[in-house]
Amino acid sequence: MPNKLLTQLQGYQVRLDAVTQDDLEMIRQWRNDPSVAQFMLSQESISTEQQQAWFKKISRDFSQQHFVIFYKNEAIGVANIKAYYQGETLDNARVIEPGLYIADNRYRNNILAFAPTLVLNDYCFEVLGVQALLAVVKADNLAALNYNTKLGYQIEKQAELVEIRLNQADYQHHTHGLKALLNRPARS
Amino acid sequence: MQNLEKLSKAFTESLGIEPQQVSDTLTYNSIPQWDSTAHMILIAEIENAFNLMLDTDDIIDMSSFAQAKAILAKYEIDFN
Repeated sequence: MPNKLLTQLQGYQVRLDAVTQDDLEMIRQWRNDPSVAQFMLSQESISTEQQQAWFKKISRDFSQQHFVIFYKNEAIGVANIKAYYQGETLDNARVIEPGLYIADNRYRNNILAFAPTLVLNDYCFEVLGVQALLAVVKADNLAALNYNTKLGYQIEKQAELVEIRLNQADYQHHTHGLKALLNRPARS
Repeated sequence: MQNLEKLSKAFTESLGIEPQQVSDTLTYNSIPQWDSTAHMILIAEIENAFNLMLDTDDIIDMSSFAQAKAILAKYEIDFN
């Protein structure tokens, strides 16, 4: 694995651990849940075999990383990053496409939903040294569009799939307050 | 000013909503006005109104008006 890639990220009260074999069934069930699947580009139900094949593929593919999100040591969702341009790996990617879903309903409509994104974006900009993040969101997913606007994303292409882009300066400018809030000491 | 009134005022001022919109069923993201930016302003308003400093767990847990009362009760703020 390239040196720059980390398998555990932490901050803003959450921890992101690289997906392991033991996580696969939990993730498959989350991903097949209609409340999560509705916002995915494909609604196809994932079988155990497909999930295993996916894991085998990503385990040796350094153009992408997948993490389970933990809050208070409980798994609450999944996050991933992918090098946007073909042929690039994450350690030399110019642009990265991040993705995330919160599977635990308690934290979907919660300020905590920003925490894993902040961890992931910090990692992309500060550790991997990426120039920009690019995300593709379904036009009817207003919650995700609003969420990303709060992080500083700008709309690049408005269509059925909306392409949005974030550079480091905009990210820092828009998330200063949010980071301060989620970085306060946790209850002792 | 009574504590309930102080808390309601913190909500109406930080979210920019009418007093009649403030009820126990008011939750984060349930209205466009209560987004992440407003949540940060709301936390500052509450801290200012009650002269306290909330920790991150409280900020995360404060996802409704009812929850705000429950959290403030831990700081010995009485709503009865």
